[in-house]
Parts: sequence; C-alpha cells; structure tokens
Amino acid sequence: MNFDPVPFPLLQSFLLWLLVVGSATCIVLVVSLIATIATVGARGPVVFANELGAMVGDLVSLSPRRIFALAQLTFREAVRRKALMVFVVFAILFMFAGWFLSSSNLAPEFQVKVYVSFVLRAISWLILPVVLLLACWGIPEDIRLRSMHTVVTKPARRLELVIGRMLGYSFVGLTVLAVMGVVGWGWINRQLPESAKSQLICRQPIRGELTFLDREGNPTKEGINVGDIWMFHSFIEGATKARAIWTFEGVGPHVLDNEGNLLLENRFQAFRSHKGDMRRSIYFQYTFVNPETNARVPYQLKTVDEGRGRTDRINRTLLNIGESSKTDGKKYDIIDDMVSKDGRLTVEVACVDPGQYLGMARPDLFVRTADLPFYYGYFKAVACIGLMVLLVIFMGVSVSTFVKGPVATFLTFCVVIVSYGARDFMGRIVGDPIALQKAAQYSGLQEMKKLEGGGVLESIYRILWHMNPTTELPAGPSTTIMQFIDTGLVNFLWLVYRILPNFDYFSESLLYVANGFDVRFDSCVLACIMVTLAYFGPCVLLGYFALRVRELEAK
Amino acid sequence: MSTTGQPREAVIEIRNLTKIYRDFWGRKKVRAVNALSLDVYKGEVFGLLGPNGSGKTTTLKMLLGLLFPTEGEIKILGQSASDVRKNERIGYLPEESYLYRFLTGEETLDFYGRLFNMTNAERKQRTEELLKLVKVDHARKRQLKEYSKGMTRRIGLAQALINHPDLVLLDEPTSGLDPLGSRDMKDLILDLKAQGKTIVMCSHLLADVQDVCDRIAILYGGELKVLGRVDELLKSQNQTQVLSDQLSPAAQAEVEAVLKKHGAKYQVDHPTANLEELFLRTVQESKDRPGRRLIADDPAVKA
Amino acid sequence: MNNLTSQQRKFVYLGAILLLLIPIIWLGMPADGTPNSGGMISRLRQELDLGESDLGDLDPSGAAMNLALLGLRGVAANILWMQADEQKNHKDWGELRVTTDSIIRLQPHYVKVWEYNGWNLAYNVSAEWDAVPDRYFWVKEGGKFLQRGVERNRRSPDLKWHVGRIYGPKIGLSDEARFFRRFFYQDPDPQYDKGPDPEFNNSSEDNYLVAKRWFQEANDAESKARQTIMDRSIFRSYPARSQLDYAAALYKFGFKEEYDREVGDRKLTDEEAKALEIRVREKLKEQTRQAWVLGLDDWTKRYGQELFSVEYLPGIIVQMRLEMAEDELRSLGKTPEGIAQLRRAVDQYQKMNNYRYWRTRALCESEPETAEAHWALFAASEEYRKQSPAARTFAEQSMALFEKTLEKYPELKDEDNFVEEALTAVLVWNLYLRLEGEKPPEMFPLKSLWDEKQAIVPEIERRFERDSRTNY
Ligand SMILES: Nc1ncnc2c1ncn2[C@@H]1O[C@H](COP(=O)(O)OP(=O)(O)OP(=O)(O)O)[C@@H](O)[C@H]1O
Ligand SMILES: [Mg+2]
Repeated sequence: MNFDPVPFPLLQSFLLWLLVVGSATCIVLVVSLIATIATVGARGPVVFANELGAMVGDLVSLSPRRIFALAQLTFREAVRRKALMVFVVFAILFMFAGWFLSSSNLAPEFQVKVYVSFVLRAISWLILPVVLLLACWGIPEDIRLRSMHTVVTKPARRLELVIGRMLGYSFVGLTVLAVMGVVGWGWINRQLPESAKSQLICRQPIRGELTFLDREGNPTKEGINVGDIWMFHSFIEGATKARAIWTFEGVGPHVLDNEGNLLLENRFQAFRSHKGDMRRSIYFQYTFVNPETNARVPYQLKTVDEGRGRTDRINRTLLNIGESSKTDGKKYDIIDDMVSKDGRLTVEVACVDPGQYLGMARPDLFVRTADLPFYYGYFKAVACIGLMVLLVIFMGVSVSTFVKGPVATFLTFCVVIVSYGARDFMGRIVGDPIALQKAAQYSGLQEMKKLEGGGVLESIYRILWHMNPTTELPAGPSTTIMQFIDTGLVNFLWLVYRILPNFDYFSESLLYVANGFDVRFDSCVLACIMVTLAYFGPCVLLGYFALRVRELEAK
Repeated sequence: MSTTGQPREAVIEIRNLTKIYRDFWGRKKVRAVNALSLDVYKGEVFGLLGPNGSGKTTTLKMLLGLLFPTEGEIKILGQSASDVRKNERIGYLPEESYLYRFLTGEETLDFYGRLFNMTNAERKQRTEELLKLVKVDHARKRQLKEYSKGMTRRIGLAQALINHPDLVLLDEPTSGLDPLGSRDMKDLILDLKAQGKTIVMCSHLLADVQDVCDRIAILYGGELKVLGRVDELLKSQNQTQVLSDQLSPAAQAEVEAVLKKHGAKYQVDHPTANLEELFLRTVQESKDRPGRRLIADDPAVKA
Repeated sequence: MNNLTSQQRKFVYLGAILLLLIPIIWLGMPADGTPNSGGMISRLRQELDLGESDLGDLDPSGAAMNLALLGLRGVAANILWMQADEQKNHKDWGELRVTTDSIIRLQPHYVKVWEYNGWNLAYNVSAEWDAVPDRYFWVKEGGKFLQRGVERNRRSPDLKWHVGRIYGPKIGLSDEARFFRRFFYQDPDPQYDKGPDPEFNNSSEDNYLVAKRWFQEANDAESKARQTIMDRSIFRSYPARSQLDYAAALYKFGFKEEYDREVGDRKLTDEEAKALEIRVREKLKEQTRQAWVLGLDDWTKRYGQELFSVEYLPGIIVQMRLEMAEDELRSLGKTPEGIAQLRRAVDQYQKMNNYRYWRTRALCESEPETAEAHWALFAASEEYRKQSPAARTFAEQSMALFEKTLEKYPELKDEDNFVEEALTAVLVWNLYLRLEGEKPPEMFPLKSLWDEKQAIVPEIERRFERDSRTNY
C-alpha cells in the first residue's frame, strides 16, 4: 500500500466544516442584505427579513411526495433522454479491454491490482461525465424550455425542486453504478488469469504504530533514507542495533487463524549496499516483545520477498531461540505470554545482513486476520465511487441553478479536476499543514515550508525585473499595495482550497481493493460519507438560494 | 361608475406595476409593463388584451412570481406573488405548452397532481376526469412529444385545472385549438365561472373574449389603455342604439321621421359595434397620442 | 423497413452493430507476440514487414484511442508520462508496466519512447528488485517490450540495437550474469518447466549469439536508415563484438553451465563426474577456440573491412577502414600529407574502438596452444579447489603453454587480460606448492613475467580467491 491509512479526524473536520460553512453563509447573508437595500431602498431590511422567513418556512414545509415526484421526473427524463447509452460505451470498453490488459504475464498480485484498478477507474471515469452532464444540464434546460414554469406555479417549493433533482440524478447515477459494478465484478472474475484468482481477497489487517531505533539503539521517529525520491519508506541498517518496532493493539486469540497461527504479513524492501550473497534475499528477524513484561522472544530468520510481500504463519507456541542463538529451550505462547493484558503486542524487526538495509513504512507490517471475500471490499469501493458520484451531482445541480448548462458543466468539471489534481498544490501555497506534510514526505524533506516567492503580483514583478526570491523588494507604497493585494488573493485561495472537496478519500477506496485489502471504514468509507454529506447541505442551500433570487426566465 | 355599486372582493390587486427587462450587463432593454394598476374581482372572467408584445404575458408571469416586478406591488389571493402557498389555489396555462415532452399524458397529470400533494386515489380520479374533459383520453399512454399542438394545449389546460383552482390564469387559451376546441374552451370557461371561479385570460381572438369576458383591459406598449366591463365599453356614450325585432318597413319609416324631426344624425342598419372595433380604435389612438390616459370604469384605477 | 415496429428496428440495428464488430475484431485484434496471432491487420503487418510508420494511423487500436480521446493524444500521453514517473517513484511496478503499454499505444511511432521505456524496464526497474529471478523477469520484460517496438518500427536500426544490448551485455555482463545466462535457457518461472521463456528465447543459442543476430539486423537496417545512438564505426562493431563476447563467456561460464546441463537431474558417482568433467572440458576447449576463430574473422575480415567516412578533424572527412592494407592506404590518401592524415585517423579509430586489443586477443585465443593453456588453467583452478595433486600438473602445463604463446606474440605482455591469466596460472601453481609445503624451484616458465609484474600479483590473488569462493 502506498499510503498510510489513518482514521478520519471526525471532530476536527466537523469543526472546520462549521467554520467554513458558517463564514460562507454569513458572507452570503451580508452580501444579499446589502444587495436588497441597494435595490429596494429603505424597505430593504423588511423585505430581506420576509424573504429569510419565507425560506425558513420552505425548509420546514418540505413534502416528501413532491420531492419524490420531482425525483421520479428527473429519473424518467434521464432514462428517456437515453442517458443509459453510457452502458453501450461501457460494454464496448470492456469487450475490448481484455485485448490490452491480458498481454503481460506479471505476478498475480500485480495482475489483480491492474485488473481491479482498471475496472474501478473505468467505472468512475465513465460515470462521472454522464452524471456531470445530466446534473449540470437538467435545471438550465428546464428553465430554457420553460417547463419549469409549470412546476414552480404549483405549490412545489424551489427547495424541493433542487432536492428532487439531486435525488433523481442520484437514482440515475447509482443505478448505472450498480449495474456497472456488478458487470465489472463479473468481468474481473471471468477475465482475470486463473493463476491470479487466488489473490482476489480482502485482507483485514490490524495495523500498528511504528517507531524506530537507530544504529546505536536510540529511539527515533524514522529510519534512514537510502536515496529514494519518495520518502515514504525508511530503512534500517543490518547487523546494528537499528530496529523497526510495531505495536499492535487489539490482539487476542480471535486474530489467530484456524490452525492457531498468528499471521504476520510484511512488504519490506531490501536495499543492498554491496552485492552480498545473490542467491538469497536479505534476512530479517522478528522479535516478539510483551510491552508489559518486556519478555522477548526472537523468531527464526526470514528472507525478504521484495515487491511481493510475504505472510509468515507464526505458530502460537514460540520456541525461544535466544538473542544470540543460545536457546533456553523455554516455550512461550504468543497470546498468553507475549500480549499485554490490554491486547498489545510489540514486534521488533531487525535486518540481519551486515551492510544491507531493510525498508518499511507503517502499513508494511500487519497482523492479518481472517480474509473477507473479494466482493465485500469491491462493493465497498463501488459504494465509495457512488458517494463521489453523489458529490458531483450535488455540486453540478447546485451550480446549474445559477449558470447555464455549458458553464455549469465547465465549472463543475473544473472543480472536480482541480480538486483531483491541484488541491495539494494549493494547500502548499496557503500553507495547510496536511498538504505540507504530504509534500514533505514526497520530496524527502523533514519539513516543507509554504511556497516562497510571494503572491501573484510579487512574482510577476520579480520575473519582470529579474529579481530572485531572496532579494528584498524596494520599500514603498507600491510594494505595500502589491503585498496587500497578494495577501488578499492568498486568503481567497485559502477559501477556495477549503471549499474544494477532498477527492483523495474516494481514490483511496480503490487502492485498498486493488491492493487486496478491505476498504477500511474509519479511514475511508466514513471519510467518503462525511465529505459527501458535508457538501449536501451547502449545495442544496446554495441551489435553493439561487433559484429563489433569480427570475426563472430564459434569457 | 360602478354598475353594481357594492364593493366586490378583489382576487388580484395590481398597483403601479412596472417591469423593465434588462440585459446581462444590467442595461435596460425593454419597458414591458409600465405603471399598471388594476383589480380582478372574484367570480369574474377578466380579459387582458393588447397587440403582440404589449406586456400581457409579462404581467401574468409577474402575478405568478416567475418574474419579479421592477416596481409596484401585487396581491394575489391575498398573498404576495412570491409566496408559493398561493399556488395551491391557482391554475396556470402558459402561452405555449411548456410541459415535459418525455412524459405521457397520464404521467403528466399524475406528476402535477403529486405536486399538489394529492393522494394516489385522488390523482387517479382527477386524471380520469380531466383526460375525459379535455378529450385526449385516447392518447393518454403516448409521450407528449408525439402530441399535436392542440392536444398539447388540451393537456396543458388539464394540468391547470388539476387542483380545482379558484383562480385560473389562461395565456391565450384558444391558440392552436380547432373551432370545436375553442368552442369547448369557451364553454369550459363559462362553466368555471358558473362554479364561482375567477378567470384571467389573455387572447387575441376578440370574438372569444367578447363571448366570455365580463371585463377587459387593453394594454398597449405596457400601458393600460382601456379597462372596463365589456358591455359598457361597447356602449358608445353619445350614440344610442335602438334594437328591435321584426321592425316593419313602415314602422322603420316612422322612426326615421321622428329622428329627422329632432335633427339627429342617424343611420339605420344592423348592430355591428363590437370588440374588434374598440380594440383597433384603442390601438390607433394610442399610436396617435402616446401617453393618453385610459377609459376606465374602475375605482381602483381612479384612486 | 417501414413495416417494422420500432422495437424490431432496434434489434436490426443491434444486429448490424454486431455484424460490423466482426470485421473490426477480425481486422483489428492486436497480436500477442506469437506468429500468426492477432487480427488481419497485425498479421499482414507481420507478413509484409510493415511497421507502424508505414501504415500511418491505421492501427485500429491507435485510431480508436485517438478518437476516444477526441484528438487529445498529446495531453493524454503527457498525463501518462507523469503517471509513469510517479509509479516509478512509488515502486508500483505492475501499474508502471501497464502505463508503459498505454503510453506506447498513444505514441507508437516514437522510437525514443520505446527505447526509453524498454531501457527503464530492463535496467532501472530490474535493479529495484532484490531477488535475481525477479530482476531477470524485468530484463525479459524490457527485451520483449523492445521487440514489440521493433515489430512496429521495423526500419529503425536503433531499436534493434537496443534489443541486442539486452540479449548481449545486459544478460552477459551484469553482476548477475552468472544467473541471467542460466535463466536464459532455464527460466526460473515454474510455468516454463525448467525450459526457456519461449517469448524471450525461442532458440537454443547462447544469449550472445542471439544478441549478435540482433546487432546484425541493426546493421542491416542501418545500411538503409540512420542510427542515432553512437559513432557509426562503433555501432557497426557490435555483431563482431558479440561473437568475441560469446567466446569469452564460454570460457568464463561455459564449463559450469555445460556440466550442469549434462548432469541435469541425475546423480553422478565420483568416477562419472570426473569423466564428465574431462569430456566437457575437451568439448569446450574446441568450441571456445572455434568461437574465437570466428570472432577473429568477424572482427578483422568483416568489421575491419568496413568502409567508414569519418570526420577526422573538423571539416576533414576521410574514407577509411579499421583494417587497412598499405596500398589501399596509399591510394585513398593520395598525397603524402593525406596518407599521414589517414594513418593517424585509422590509429585514432582503432584506439577508440579497442580494435587492436580485440584483434590480438582473438588471434592469440584462436591458437590451439592458448586454448590448451586456458583450459589447463581452468582445470588447475578446479583441482586446486579440491586440493587435488592434479592441480600442479595442470598448472605447470598451462604455464608452459602460456610461455610458448608469449614467445609467439611478445606484444601480449602488455595485454592485461593475457597477463592476468598467465600470472594466475603461476599463482595457482605457487599456492598449491605452498599447500604441500614445497618451495618453488629457481626456474619455472613465465618467471620473467612473474618477476616483472609482482606489483599486481596481490590483486590477482585477491581476485582468484574471490572467484573460487563465488564460483557456484
Ligand atoms: N425574457 C425577455 N427578455 C427581454 N424582453 C422580453 C422578455 N420577454 C418579453 N420581453 C419583451 O417584453 C415585451 C412584452 O412581452 P410579452 O411577452 O409580455 O408580450 P405579450 O403581450 O404577451 O405578447 P404576445 O401577444 O405576443 O404574447 C415585449 O416587447 C417583449 O419583447
Ligand atoms: Mg404573450
């Protein structure tokens, strides 16, 4: 796994959400109050209050029947306008995909990864444009053809209209997704080479916390870098006191397999500073430590299976082979003797070969509990795609209430693309700690600073006058003004950065299954649900607000 | 000048209504309605007349809250135009049938029924009734895109009536209908009136208007030019019409002699004074003397 | 059609679509590498020797792709390149492999793209793996990838040369050569049942001979189209070099390989083993010498006779061969000045290509005595490791033969390779004597060389020890 699955910070995210939504609402309210006063004069506040009251009234008098009528209308529209033609594209893609995927005779694990991510990506990239177009064109077309006139002159609230549209498109999107998901699942099962089918599983890992000891045996936060561009893995040196130490929680008899073995799975990397013995891979050794009693039992040497990962079945009864190969002949029970009362187990990993290095990151060693069937994780990932589809629909419908179809499509498309591609970069500009940390990890630095060189105006100035970023700008009012505007722009960017949805979680869901893991609820599914929910309310309100303050006349 | 004398309940009150269409940049483009004031009373059939582009549809849309007035106020069924709750009691037939073309006739009515929160049974029953009423029963299972213009109009009318509205706003109800259809439409309007409903209609077909309307308003260039009861408006102030049945030539000669004696100019023929004349005259006068005030019998307007 | 219902009509359309799909599949299915696989177009391409560039955009997969991407081929390719780079950094090898294929589907005409990606797979990705079989797998992937590139760009000499590089030096000269050469005919993947991977190696030839064929093809293509890799005079040396490398590899790895191949899964008695050892040695002695003879021929008669026009000094272009007879030199050089210049050019190019070294080495190695000396030394080392007295006899035999060669070709005294071998013979002999507790006599063959090169003896001893340890 190329990322570290950490639990979704629910409370923190919620507070941030409140902050952003709250401030955005305040801004909208203040701006519209001013606008009302500007248009109707002194009666402005009264009109404004009335409007606000009416909106609140609408909010509390929603009728499910009307909403469902509108949703059904939307669904019928999509179906009868042949939105389902997307299935044809889908079918064609899958008919021919076999030609191009089956060529390579990669290791089974890779095959699974390639097939599963192909299917899930194909599904998301096919379904996204469809729902994007549907959601962004529905309301504008309704207005253009004036068919909306017959709806809003009925007691249907404009709020219901927005919700009904969203609901309808969600039905469409989810139906299409469900069919594609099932077909994709069948396709994987049929097309995947026989040899790789055993790898179609959902591992359920118990992941621990990872700390290190350096070569002198002092605790450190990470090992050493052996020159990788990507700093995700850090390395420990062989035949020194360097150790990687995992502490797992929630270990008990229930994590053992049917035969009573503890399954430890690792994906260590090997790095050789000299050729060494080329006939075998590098040796490493587990040492089991009871975090309470500090009882230590070293385990037999194992070789790294680089690039593939290996599962070590550790018999419940451990024979102490001794720290320096002198066995005291004592036997230990891995659960009873090595796990603390609160269910913690520490596993130390050492590299054995002198001058060679063993690389790892937190997800690279885990206790593997009973596997789940593949469909379990697969459909969870499909569900996460579904949540992403909903998110796109919410945004699309909401945007389409105040701009026309093409503009709405373009705008939503940009939001999706920018969120996917440039959000991290924006995070670095505005100095978001999470984005900085991610960038630091990638670039191999301990810490990443906010991007230097000033804002837009300052950069342009520096480029035109050939100044490098360290040169002081000449003091004076123009510099002050320039920097003031730049600060404003960066603050605006901060808002945009905060408003753009974080699509990382949705793409991660796919990685879990592609790598043969169950999609974790707390760090992925929950996050997807929360992100989608977080946008639902604001999108509905924005759409409602826009429909209410505008004339529904085609112009 | 009110003929009845007693105060009547106003269903629609329009005061000083102005609508200016602006373009994207906020520049004024058209003054579609200008300082319009009028009332529509409960139980009457009110006709809005005027040449093309005189602001009839715009006025209706403002009544419905589809457009926001630039100035002025509207009270409709005692509520403001932007309040959706008024829609419970309103039926609206748009100028052209802006319906969902991918729905079938039946689905269309069912859909609008649901927007009124009607129960399943109510909707079924009402759908049956209306499909029969507007005579598109045979095409109920076909999508509207396959309907002819007249059929679409009929479905449009049906959807306007689905909620037993107290106030029906009809924008050119007879356009696109065959003679039989417009006959039916007129009957229907009179029928609704008989049920005590209020009807506001726009139309160019003056004969139709003359047939069904109690009162009319004529707009020209967004301004109200004529407002009043149809019968009174057609009654010319300094003309007297003598109507008679089976007047013998002898009797006619006698009457002529009397008129001659009093020195009056007269003309003897069959009565022809009609709305068309009034309409054309109003338009001509408005063209000749822009800004001239209207002929009206309405206290609201005079106030 | 008018009397069909709309539903029937839709079925007719569906049927028509399916009917149209049949020719598309028949025409367009890509080949999977084996001959006569794939659709009509790819078969025709194989038959008529057409590369992509000859067909233009007709490759259905490519055209479809372009269409699907609405002509945004360049943008898509860019994104894929970025993706590939990230996957490389993240060590997502499986996905990198697929991305590489997608890139190539978008840019099938760019020889450099094939080159870069093939190289990346065979060299960079392969080196990232710890287990040698895994490394070999990626070398193969690179090789197969490049061969697909050749199929689509038949006229490019560059790609063929790169394929040759993988079969030749990548397998034969890397640190893992010992394993790679073996895997070449005994793939570590159990699915090949101890045979070679037919997609990569479908002959029973040595990897260097396969490389030689590819280099030869590259040369043939080069006669019609320019190569862009290196100086032409070096580029064209590769077939001959491969033959020489083959001969050298036979000596270095041949015995173990041949012996193990002969033994297979059998269990041999000591006698049988001994007899086999001798048989294999005899066989290889001749085989190696023949390889050198052929190598000498390739080097001096083929490669050496090629006419190159080289820009000797800026603006001065001369016609020359690496092996130039005096009268030809005169006739081409014309003026005395020109002759002198040409002589200098030949000299320079000979140095640049290590021409003289390989000529001498091949010449000397094709002498029966040298071959004899080599194998005697080889046997001596083997026997010494077993601490058998035969070590001494073999060593002495080898020393005598080396001395004879040296008398014949005194210039070999300055060829490191020869010197090292000769000294190793003396070293083994010395070591064995030490083992027996004997003192070396005053006089012995190669004594003058031994004395003269004492400075490098410790280094040679270290190397010998290491080789004996790692010679598994
Ligand atoms: N959406 C609009 N944008 C700009 N101007 C408009 C718009 N709708 C109507 N108008 C203008 O407003 C004026 C009144 O139009 P309106 O549709 O109310 O006329 P009408 O009386 O209904 O005419 P008709 O008898 O042709 O239906 C016209 O000049 C028209 O061009
Ligand atoms: Mg109109």
